[in-house]
Amino acid sequence: MIGLTLTIALPLLASLVGLAAVERIQAAWVAVGGAALTWVVTAVVALPRLGEADPVSGSWGHAWGNLDAPALTFALRGDAMSAALLLLAATVALLVQIYSVAYLADDPRYRAYAMIVSLFSASMHAVVVADDLFVLLIGWELMGVCSYLLIGHYWERSDARDGAAKAFLMTRFADVGLLVAIIVLGQAVDSYRISDVLDAVAAGEIGDATTTTVALLMLLAAVGKSAQFPLHSWLPDAMPGPSPISALIHSATMVAAGVYLVARMHPLFVASETATVALGLVAVVTMLIAAAFALAQDDLKRVLAWSTVSQLAYMFAALSVGSVVAAIGHLLAHGAFKALLFLAAGSVAHAVGSTAFADMGGLRRAMPWTFATATLGFAALPGLLPLSGFFTKDAIVGAAYDATHADAPGPAPSWLAWLILGAALVTAALTAAYATRAWRLVFGGQRRGTETAHEAPALMRWPLVVLSVPTVLMGLAVVWPGWLGGAEAEPVHSWVAVSSTLILVAIVGLTWLLGRTDEHGVTIDPATRLGPVRPLLAREFGVDAAYDRLVVRPTMGASVLTLAADRDVVDAYVRGATTGALGASRLLRWAQNRNVQTYVTVAVVGFALAAVLAGVSA
Amino acid sequence: MPLLWPLLLSAALFGIGVYGVLARRNAVLALMGVELMLNAANLNLVAFDVWLRDVLVSGQVFTLFTIALAAAEIGLGLAIVLRLFRAYGHVDVDRVGGEPATVLGGVEAER
Repeated sequence: MIGLTLTIALPLLASLVGLAAVERIQAAWVAVGGAALTWVVTAVVALPRLGEADPVSGSWGHAWGNLDAPALTFALRGDAMSAALLLLAATVALLVQIYSVAYLADDPRYRAYAMIVSLFSASMHAVVVADDLFVLLIGWELMGVCSYLLIGHYWERSDARDGAAKAFLMTRFADVGLLVAIIVLGQAVDSYRISDVLDAVAAGEIGDATTTTVALLMLLAAVGKSAQFPLHSWLPDAMPGPSPISALIHSATMVAAGVYLVARMHPLFVASETATVALGLVAVVTMLIAAAFALAQDDLKRVLAWSTVSQLAYMFAALSVGSVVAAIGHLLAHGAFKALLFLAAGSVAHAVGSTAFADMGGLRRAMPWTFATATLGFAALPGLLPLSGFFTKDAIVGAAYDATHADAPGPAPSWLAWLILGAALVTAALTAAYATRAWRLVFGGQRRGTETAHEAPALMRWPLVVLSVPTVLMGLAVVWPGWLGGAEAEPVHSWVAVSSTLILVAIVGLTWLLGRTDEHGVTIDPATRLGPVRPLLAREFGVDAAYDRLVVRPTMGASVLTLAADRDVVDAYVRGATTGALGASRLLRWAQNRNVQTYVTVAVVGFALAAVLAGVSA
Repeated sequence: MPLLWPLLLSAALFGIGVYGVLARRNAVLALMGVELMLNAANLNLVAFDVWLRDVLVSGQVFTLFTIALAAAEIGLGLAIVLRLFRAYGHVDVDRVGGEPATVLGGVEAER
């Protein structure tokens, strides 16, 4: 219990102490030291929990609240799932802090940045170990604020400001679902403790309608946080943020929180067929369109962003066919290799000064370390055989296949399982294609840009090397039986492994053959072969344009109308009062014009009139 | 001499004085208007004193007081006009009253 609290308190403390740092180097020591200490405590707390079925839980202080409403407590809970996520989040946060020291070496706002990253890490830990739904909500919302601040780190750039506002508004809109769901659950179960809620679900004490409502509301929150269709478009637009932040947001925190929420409340989702089907359909649509969008982007980080959206959809698909183990396993593996890929993208951006493919190419010679580690990441992403992505992705495909049996224990109807199976295989092919394309455009052929590239400094190189270890080995850990406590790991079906490897090899080969080199040895983008489909994909099906017409412009119109009503109607009365008073005072001021001669004239004329009247009346 | 003549003269003087005070923009001329009004009052006092044949000659005594008073008044008034000129550079009563542009400069100059 103390350990769990420390995992939240230490990064929070590091963030507060960071406020006092005057020099840049002090802030760096506080941030990295805080993250390292957090990592040690997390490892001590989390490692014994892995593989344990029973959670440790407890709460601090007495309950807040009155007799009418369920009490709020600062309750924490540690089980195998939260332990696994804690380890991932603490590791990535530590590596990101180390990496950022070098990446933001010349940044004037580094101190604020390091402080917010620490706070971000504390909020993610709070979400992961929360047992009280409101503790979870606090961490959840703090993460939204921190992501807003970090995406908008380069606020001189308009795309960074817009991306930050978009991320905040879209996730904030979805968060309303979580708040309402918590209140409804509190009414239904008479407790805000997650343990109590899960017990009540297991005992069937919650009505069907309530279960479906709460599950759908939580799904809305998770869809917003994890950037799933139809709230998917904020994540790629969050790319103007610094690369280490993208690594943090895209792997271990923020987007992982959405998957974690659904995994944590999984019995609730399973209890409602509507919610399960909604979850599965969202996942199917998202994984296909996001992988297709990734195929046509011109920017390395944007490709990786769409790839994140697509991979998160895999996890949601696994949850909808009832396999928490496969989902969390893929979350961990994806967290490792996607953090690696984003940090590698940061190294590349550091070297060539841009994230556009147009400035890259041929970097394998100039940046051998980045090349080697990013190659592992790009191989793990589509799931090349011995790497982590292979095991976790095939666990999801296998789980979907198991759910297609009519007698499957899972909640998903068999048509949904077939749909997910098909979508997962198609997405695997698309993933192989865009990973091959991106890898080749960055590292293959000759240089397109003019700047001379250089290898990243040591502080940026070592996090890449460290992350390549779980990228390679994580797969072995997640097929370990019972690592998530109780639930069995998904058996790897041999036909899934063979067929997905065949698809992978075929697609990689095809993509490689489609890409040509011109007479200077520069790789021509294989995506040019997409022909007329490419601009459609690059525009991302015009979803943002539709949002612009359906949401942004009506909102702007309404705000203009509100402004006009306030300014031209309400304020008119206020201004009318002042104008009237001013006019009246102008009239009265006439009599008091400071000219003594006028006063005397009035006095004399008045006296004369009085005298004449007196004479007339006498 | 009938009483009417000095009274007519006094009324004319007073009227001219009122006109001077009301219409003149030059401060010195306005002060002169005030003087005319005072002297019209003096003439009235003397004329009625003579007409009443007052044994105490209180009208003439009052006149002497008024003359002394007028001397003091014109001294004070001209001193004010002088300060006004130092501050504004002119003695136009219609144009005084704002923040004097050279009031500090004037004080400095005096020192």
